[in-house]
Amino acid sequence: MKAKTVKDAKPARDGDPRDEKSIRAIIDQCKKDTRIEYRYGDGFFTPKMRGINYLELGRSKIINSPITIFIEWLYLKWRHLRDFVKRLEHAFFPRHEKIWCKHIDSHLVGRTIYEGDRGDGPPIHHLHLEFWGRTWLGSWRKLSEGKSDNDGYFRLPYDLRAARRLWIRRLYFEVHTTTRVYFHEKKPRFHFDLWLRREIAKSNLIGMDYNLRTIRLDFWRYREDAYTPRAKVNAAGDEPEHYSQGRIDALMSQVIPIELTKIKHLDQIELEPGTLTIPQIQADYPMNLTTCIEKHLPGYTRGDDWFGERMMNGMNRGTFQKDPKREGHYWIHYFGKCWYDHNEVYALPDVDIRFSLKENGLPKPEEIVLTGCLSSHEHDIWKKRSFAPKDEPNWTYAKRVARVNGAFNTEVEEHFAGTHLNTEQFAVACFRNLKLSPIAALLMPHMKEVSLIDHAADKTLIGGYIAAATALTKTGLEQRTRDIMGFQDWKGWHPMKKLSEAHTCARAEQLFWDIVTEYVDTFIEAWADLIKEHWFEVYCFSEDLVNHAVPVAFSAPQDAPPKGKRWKTLADRRFEYYCQQYCFDPTLDRPVVDGETKAISRVTAAKSFKDAAPEDWQNLKDACAYAVMMATYMHTWINEHQYDDLGEILYSCGGLRFGEKPEGIMAPEDDYDIAPDLVRSTQMLWFTNLLSRTEYGFITRNEEGDVNPLFSDLLKKKRDDFANLGVDVDAIESRTNI
Amino acid sequence: MKHSAHIAPGRIEAYWLHRLFDMVVLWIYAKLFGLMLALFLCFPKQQRMSHNNGIAATGKLRIVDHPEFPENEFFTPGREFPVRIRHASATFLDDAMNCIRSLSIKLSDHHFKSPFDIEMNTGETSLFWSAVSFLKFARLRGEKYGIEYRDYNRRYPDGLKGSQTAGRRHASSFHNLHYYCKTPFLFIGTDGIKRYAKYRVIPADNEPETGIDPDPSEWDQCNQRILKHETRGRNYLKYEYEDRVWREGARYRFQVQTHPASDNEDPEVFNNMVVWDEDAHPWLDLGIMEIDHILDWRESTLTTFSVNNMPRALGVIPATSIFDYNSLNYMRAHSEIARKARILSYKVWGMVPPIPDNDNRNVSDWGQ
Repeated sequence: MKAKTVKDAKPARDGDPRDEKSIRAIIDQCKKDTRIEYRYGDGFFTPKMRGINYLELGRSKIINSPITIFIEWLYLKWRHLRDFVKRLEHAFFPRHEKIWCKHIDSHLVGRTIYEGDRGDGPPIHHLHLEFWGRTWLGSWRKLSEGKSDNDGYFRLPYDLRAARRLWIRRLYFEVHTTTRVYFHEKKPRFHFDLWLRREIAKSNLIGMDYNLRTIRLDFWRYREDAYTPRAKVNAAGDEPEHYSQGRIDALMSQVIPIELTKIKHLDQIELEPGTLTIPQIQADYPMNLTTCIEKHLPGYTRGDDWFGERMMNGMNRGTFQKDPKREGHYWIHYFGKCWYDHNEVYALPDVDIRFSLKENGLPKPEEIVLTGCLSSHEHDIWKKRSFAPKDEPNWTYAKRVARVNGAFNTEVEEHFAGTHLNTEQFAVACFRNLKLSPIAALLMPHMKEVSLIDHAADKTLIGGYIAAATALTKTGLEQRTRDIMGFQDWKGWHPMKKLSEAHTCARAEQLFWDIVTEYVDTFIEAWADLIKEHWFEVYCFSEDLVNHAVPVAFSAPQDAPPKGKRWKTLADRRFEYYCQQYCFDPTLDRPVVDGETKAISRVTAAKSFKDAAPEDWQNLKDACAYAVMMATYMHTWINEHQYDDLGEILYSCGGLRFGEKPEGIMAPEDDYDIAPDLVRSTQMLWFTNLLSRTEYGFITRNEEGDVNPLFSDLLKKKRDDFANLGVDVDAIESRTNI
Repeated sequence: MKHSAHIAPGRIEAYWLHRLFDMVVLWIYAKLFGLMLALFLCFPKQQRMSHNNGIAATGKLRIVDHPEFPENEFFTPGREFPVRIRHASATFLDDAMNCIRSLSIKLSDHHFKSPFDIEMNTGETSLFWSAVSFLKFARLRGEKYGIEYRDYNRRYPDGLKGSQTAGRRHASSFHNLHYYCKTPFLFIGTDGIKRYAKYRVIPADNEPETGIDPDPSEWDQCNQRILKHETRGRNYLKYEYEDRVWREGARYRFQVQTHPASDNEDPEVFNNMVVWDEDAHPWLDLGIMEIDHILDWRESTLTTFSVNNMPRALGVIPATSIFDYNSLNYMRAHSEIARKARILSYKVWGMVPPIPDNDNRNVSDWGQ
């Protein structure tokens, strides 16, 4: 699918472009003009990319030589032929469901456990196991199938004579895992993929039990070296799961133009650095919302109205904390470097913005307080400076600093930690434990692929772009995201409360939450019997979630803020604010594991439903709804608005450099010493385009047939309601895969 | 085993072809095995297949006066038989190791000829259950320094369980152990009704059994070595038995349990890994065996037992394939050549020496 690359805005409409109605019309038109659309199509002899895992911060592995493209065409044809032969083989030698067994007199026994870095891991329950024989003529004969029990033990019955027939050439023991689910006639169907195949020598089967011993599977393991619960992904990035072909195709076709643009800039910077400027870099990328508006309403996006509107309804989806001293006033807090590991190139002060509400319900900035160093000449990290609208030009500079800090906080905390990492911890627990329970069908479509994209983000973002383009180092970013994860809990979560009718972000969030809870409730009640029967899987899911969760923020010794009254005050302020932002209730009774109070609440402590507490049933619904919400809407909101708010280098970016001047970051936009350097500039636009334009996997489009039609239908029914709030239901992702 | 009546019409020829093929294979396996034993073990090394370390004795067996078991032409009430028995320890030439112990009985006083022979071992279940499993068992022995069947135990949990139930370490006497034949035999009574029978021998005075490991280990079951600081000698059990017999004799209770045969017999009835339920198949006294004379080493070594020495009504159940549970006795019945080869070897090479009371422990071959 290629995204529309609009570079020219339509002319302004009639009427005074400064009255509110006209302004709104221009903004809406710009939103339409810059909205990303997706269409399929590809051409031969156009540049190609090898795969998602070949994306690089520098030069991704792209092929643009015609000869190379031709050779790659030949290679693709060979792959098609190979796939055709495979399909032919499947057609000639199908694997039927019939089990060849007249008399059960023997068993394959053993146990499946997770591979552990030190010794044995826990048992793997409910794995799908099959025993096959292959004849000399190539036919497959299924000899047995079964599942491992709750403790990972299995006992597959089979007919010894059937397995040892002369015409059986080879015998195979296979372990299959549930990789995805699809809905057919409104019922979930699980798809198994082969994970392990082990040949058994015929001569080893002599009747009675044959012990395959303990089978260690490198299957959905937790990373031992991660700072948050993460899946262990192999070096090739295709295990424990792999991207769907559609997802790969979508990204490949959409990223090529922007990749070529980035390569062009990087080459130019390397060869003739003085010939490229930030405005030129900006002009080479597709127009975003702010540049479009600036064409019609010069200066509008730097004004107070736009500032307030985007803080409330833009990518930031700001959390408004009531001012205890002023009725009707609210604060948004964006915290700076705090105590995290940082560099001395970029500034990142604490930003506190006070708002009042206008008549139309949108926020109006009244005061911006910056705490920390604003230039390389300063060293007092606690110095506070307050700016008001009357303090021009510093007021405009302060707004820019606030935008930048807000963007950093949103991307690192809300986006990466709050959705990506948060979803991943649910995903790992889901794929490890849910196999027979219908909850697998509920969650899997929304949990897939997140581990892969997070794995890619480790290299390109946390260890790559963000560490090079913002104030925090890789270590600082890791610690910060871990702390934010310490506020992520399903229990008690609710959407943001609207401040006014103009708070469309909150209203849309509530609307989607209502749909999710209705969907989850309906699904769970419809499959109640089976869910209760397989309650053990819910228990294991909950245990994995809790046992691997991070501790409550700042509570563990290694996460504690530095000693000192000021640090404590800062930590307390942060704690209080984040509790509101993430709906984290610190008074709840939380599980303690190995001396750590975990951030995530238990869904259930009972291995079977008959022992479950009365609230466990609702807990399950709440946890599932939360997981689906984070993976879908919450991620989509930020991802979709990224290019709107981070698509203009001088408007907002990941970090402002101190520069050399005494005024530091309190400088105009044309001071390129504080703006991102050229490399970071082109990388930033490449990233925001990549993340916004290469989406694939939407709830209503349901490209792979794995989204429950009920969910899709509920969403479609509210299409107009969402549209009135500026949300396109067809653009809401079904999972976090970018 | 499926009977032809249960097979769909039109497939009977294929069924009989399969059966013929299976029986040919079984015959080849058994004959070949016997020949290999004779050529590579019994004649050159003068060894039995496993139970080389034993002591023989003689006495008599008196069948009970009022039998509760089905009437039979051979085991008639009050009948007396001369008896030659041999206690042995399997595999190793060291009584202090953790070994399976055996009791073999001949109802005659000849070292070879007899109207009825039976071989029994400790433990209610065996370590193998068919010809094919026995050959796998033999192939995976891998004995070294008193450790054997490590891989076999790892792969075959039933074989491991059999080993754990059968092994006896530091038994106080051969006499107080319980011996089971494990595999069923025919038992056709005077009423003409076909039955199957299993036999066992226990002490007549119900002396408690000794030498049982209360907590066997899966990992260490292959380790049959003597314990560190072992004080018992290589022949301690044989000496104890010799003294016991000279002092007071040894009395045993010979028992039988029977199972009526049926047309749709579950093959598991013949599986020597499956213990017949004692409520449905109670152990019934067959007779009392009294042993009063110990035979010397030479006579003990010459004494040999064969499942072919059985009356037809009490003999081996036919087997049809190498997977058949009755194929074990089939193989035993076809091992005459091995027995004869061993006897011949004594004439050619001379008698093997008794096991010395030295400090060369954990060994299984003569001359070590």
